[in-house]
Amino acid sequence: MERSTGGVVWWGETGEFIQVNNTHCDGCGDCLRVCLGGCFALREGKAVVINLESCMECAACWYACEKGAVLYGLPKGGTGFATEYG
Amino acid sequence: MDESYDVVVIGAGFGGPVAARKCALAGLKTLLLERSARPGEKVISGLTIPFYGFLFGPDFIRDGNPPIERPVDGIVNYIVKDIERGDIEVDDSLRIPRPLSPVLAFGYNAYCRPFCQWEADRAVEAGVELRTSVTVTELYREDSRVAGVITEDGKVIKARAVIDAEGSQALLAVKAGVRKKYPPDVISLADVYDYRMDKDRVDRILGFSNRFVWAWDEQRLAPPLGFGNGLMVWPYRESIHFMQDQCLKMERGGKAPNLARLFREYHRNITSKLPWWRDEIAPHAELRAHMWDSFEIYVGLDGELRKMPMCANGLLIIGDAAGLESTELCDGVPAAWFSAELAAETAIEAIFGGDVSERKLRKYQMRVESHPLIRWSISGTNRYDLRYAQKSHDIRLLRKCVHNGWGVGAFTHASTPLLLTALRAIQENPMVITSWLRMFPRYFRNWLFESFDPLSDDRPEVFRCDAYKAPKSTPGESTAAGGVPEHSSVVTEALAGPGTGGSAGVETLGTEEPSSVVATPGDPLKEARESRSFSSNEVINDAPLRGWETQTGSQISGGTLLRMAQKGLACLDGLVFMLGPALSGTAKLMEPLARLANPVATAALPVVEVILKGWRRMEPLLEPITERITRLLVESR
Ligand SMILES: Cc1cc2nc3c(=O)[nH]c(=O)nc-3n(C[C@H](O)[C@H](O)[C@H](O)COP(=O)(O)OP(=O)(O)OC[C@H]3O[C@@H](n4cnc5c(N)ncnc54)[C@H](O)[C@@H]3O)c2cc1C
Ligand code: SF4
Ligand code: SF4
Repeated sequence: MERSTGGVVWWGETGEFIQVNNTHCDGCGDCLRVCLGGCFALREGKAVVINLESCMECAACWYACEKGAVLYGLPKGGTGFATEYG
Repeated sequence: MDESYDVVVIGAGFGGPVAARKCALAGLKTLLLERSARPGEKVISGLTIPFYGFLFGPDFIRDGNPPIERPVDGIVNYIVKDIERGDIEVDDSLRIPRPLSPVLAFGYNAYCRPFCQWEADRAVEAGVELRTSVTVTELYREDSRVAGVITEDGKVIKARAVIDAEGSQALLAVKAGVRKKYPPDVISLADVYDYRMDKDRVDRILGFSNRFVWAWDEQRLAPPLGFGNGLMVWPYRESIHFMQDQCLKMERGGKAPNLARLFREYHRNITSKLPWWRDEIAPHAELRAHMWDSFEIYVGLDGELRKMPMCANGLLIIGDAAGLESTELCDGVPAAWFSAELAAETAIEAIFGGDVSERKLRKYQMRVESHPLIRWSISGTNRYDLRYAQKSHDIRLLRKCVHNGWGVGAFTHASTPLLLTALRAIQENPMVITSWLRMFPRYFRNWLFESFDPLSDDRPEVFRCDAYKAPKSTPGESTAAGGVPEHSSVVTEALAGPGTGGSAGVETLGTEEPSSVVATPGDPLKEARESRSFSSNEVINDAPLRGWETQTGSQISGGTLLRMAQKGLACLDGLVFMLGPALSGTAKLMEPLARLANPVATAALPVVEVILKGWRRMEPLLEPITERITRLLVESR
């Protein structure tokens, strides 16, 4: 029934606009659980950003991390996700 | 040397262009900065903009032709008691009955991308300089004053005042220490799906009504009530939007739920178990975009968070960035528009008065806080009540909360703010009355004929958005063959059920012709419109093209009607103009009485409900009138 026709497009070189601060991260996994883009993984008890190519810049990870370990920024102007159907 | 402006506005979403336009019209040198390549392509939303946003918001939107997807007559609530046994209650009390709707609309559904582009175009027309693909990384300070912005390439752009319309994350305001980052328990994550579906199917199945679904959490149908909005479905022109949302954490410092897994589960359950979705929509809907975004709908429920400043020395914060997303109806666009205008007003006064200090700008915060609709929308407690009802598993309580939040019961707390805002608008300019009267039928006709203002668009096309670019024609359903289709049955069908399609008009309210109606022969837009497939509106599009009036022998043609209506409105204009001072005075005198509106609505509600219920039962009988009015409205083309 459902076929994704790619109504969302990701543009160009975003830069690493989301990072994890290793010293603050305690590996609780909150960022992983709220990220619908699957952008995070846990490695050796710490969160790492594995892929920002499906990031919707929603900031859920930034809000969910109450240890201040998610360093959240914005992609370069004109890059990142875009959609006609928002 | 650094660039310098009077005003720099950050963000060309819903609020930014409104503020920028107002400043430019006052003669200020204004720059509007947007990080996306085209305005609105990073804004994700529902989106129903309710009528009061249009009525009491910026005049250029009310009096203009913005791109809308569908007028909405209200909300149909499904309260699911037991999904396995199909035990579902319906509350559609907040639905304007035909033939008043859909001309008289509860709100308008729209896509953000074309709407924000349209707003940005209007700002540019007014003299605003728009720069896209520019991310602002920091507010620029001189001493303690915000004196401009710093962009990603390290450039400083100076400004006498900065208006921050960056949306809900408010990263810049947080970084500058003006506001604090919101805690996760007031932030909701919305999971949004956009499906393409044939227009006649949308007309028939959803018509002009939004659908909301409420269920106990155990049924795994919709996110837990109170922590989310339940589940919502919006009809657009040729597509539908599906949204579920839930807050990131139930309590501060707690553990975040696995939202990725939960949303998948809810989505699977609702699409396979809810009867109308499973049978009517699922086989015919084609998913074309899956999006998500977080937003701050619970901020208003936290007294401390609500007290955060909306301005600083040289800085004004508007819309979502100021925490104005509504806890009441979860609509943020009206508040973004209202606050944009208030911020621009304050900035203009401050700049011309030569004092942009925080003391001066604080007037903005006072204005926002005393705006009746903003105050109401960010401080309502329905969401807490719903959360409580969900926990209690008391169906009567749940029914009541849904009714008060999303049914006609909402008028028991919305009447006073609505009336107060209307009275204040009349005091400011009584001519707004005829502007209100003109808006509804113009919007409806614009929707029928897709005659919105064209959008400027300078980026190579990567998307295809049917409604605003050259529309496609639908082979096989073209009207070129000549025969008159059997449309009446379709209309009857479309008007029969509650909340289904059909179109109506308030015949006395014609308006000026939208420019694109004067289509030249061979105009691709006109051709495409003629060949578009309509169901309930099939009549509508075909009628004027085939000399429909001669078939039915109608005595009064739509053209005549339009001229009469225009004359009538012109007379009314004159009357309002003459009575202007008296009307303003009366509105002022009535202000104290407006406080009685809520108690009166509460007292009158039982009676109103009975009347509305009866009226809705009669809708099928009223159908010929509805049809007749619609045809006249169409002929008036
Ligand atoms: C899923 C969902 C459903 C919603 N449904 C409804 C609804 O049905 N009805 C309703 O009225 N409201 C709804 N809202 C709320 C509504 O979308 C917002 O209230 C509204 O968009 C706020 O307008 P704004 O101008 O404050 O911010 P936005 O419209 O978010 O605009 C912010 C703009 O600023 C830009 N920007 C951000 N940071 C920077 C930077 N550093 N530099 C340059 N540019 C920047 C962004 O790209 C964006 O274009 C919904 C929201 C969501 C998320
Ligand atoms: S939420 Fe914060 S602390 Fe927890 S794993 Fe993610 S980054 Fe680490
Ligand atoms: S911003 Fe949203 S999509 Fe992007 S990594 Fe964070 S949670 Fe995931």
